[in-house]
Amino acid sequence: MNDWQRKSPLDWETYVNKMVKVAAIEKHEYEGWVLTVDPVSASIVLATFLENEKVSISVVLGHAVQEVEILKEGDDEMKQRLSCIFAPEEGKAYSPEELEKRKNDLKTWLETNHIPVTEQGESGRTLCVAGVLTIDPPYGPEECSSSNEIILSRVQGLIQGYLEKQQ
Amino acid sequence: VPVPVGVLRLPRGPDGCSRGFSPSSPRFQALLGGPATTTATQGARATLRQRYLRGLAAARGRPTRFCLRTGVRVDAVFGAADVEAVAFQVDALRTPLGVQAAALLRCADVLAYSFLL
Repeated sequence: MNDWQRKSPLDWETYVNKMVKVAAIEKHEYEGWVLTVDPVSASIVLATFLENEKVSISVVLGHAVQEVEILKEGDDEMKQRLSCIFAPEEGKAYSPEELEKRKNDLKTWLETNHIPVTEQGESGRTLCVAGVLTIDPPYGPEECSSSNEIILSRVQGLIQGYLEKQQ
Repeated sequence: VPVPVGVLRLPRGPDGCSRGFSPSSPRFQALLGGPATTTATQGARATLRQRYLRGLAAARGRPTRFCLRTGVRVDAVFGAADVEAVAFQVDALRTPLGVQAAALLRCADVLAYSFLL
């Protein structure tokens, strides 16, 4: 384990949204905006914006990192741009009232089917099913997250069926 | 006479510790709730990891260039990464011997990889 891998996650977080130069072993060098640092492998994910509107993503594995030098701080516009790179695509935009209705309809339907569901997060945006699965807006199968893949696939199937019946 | 059940001894994992994770790693210490763990640390860990996982999802299916040790560069289509960062699974790996339909690249051999979004 090298010094970079030994850093704490709070340390790694300070590099996010900054332009850095990474010196790696075998004299490799990488430059780019830090999107994230993987806490498992300490790998640095860098984004470079190319001329043709494309983004080049480079990941430097943690074990290969020798030194990380901060070159620039990202401004709010850059932070916004970086946070959108991996964001799941917004299909249809819903208004806050529509989202609230979708959430409440789904919550009621789950409760009718005897599935324990609570509201979580700031302003109760996220639904939490049985304490192990969360559903973010706009409350479709793609917005379900869980560490248990069996429960995940079951609930995704249920929601898919529910949405199809609504149509 | 009850028939004894055979004991299955699994081979040691590539990390040398067949448990699949290292008990001395900072992540495992944090899981045990060691002295250095705070909500802020775990929160940071979760946010960073979630962004990384979304990055891996974005990489899937894209032509990727892997920089291996001693200046070796190979092109392949990104397949998957495992939880403990032991290996990457790739499709259509271009090697001097030809194109391998599917292959595993050890993380210890990979220095960096890049793809276009």
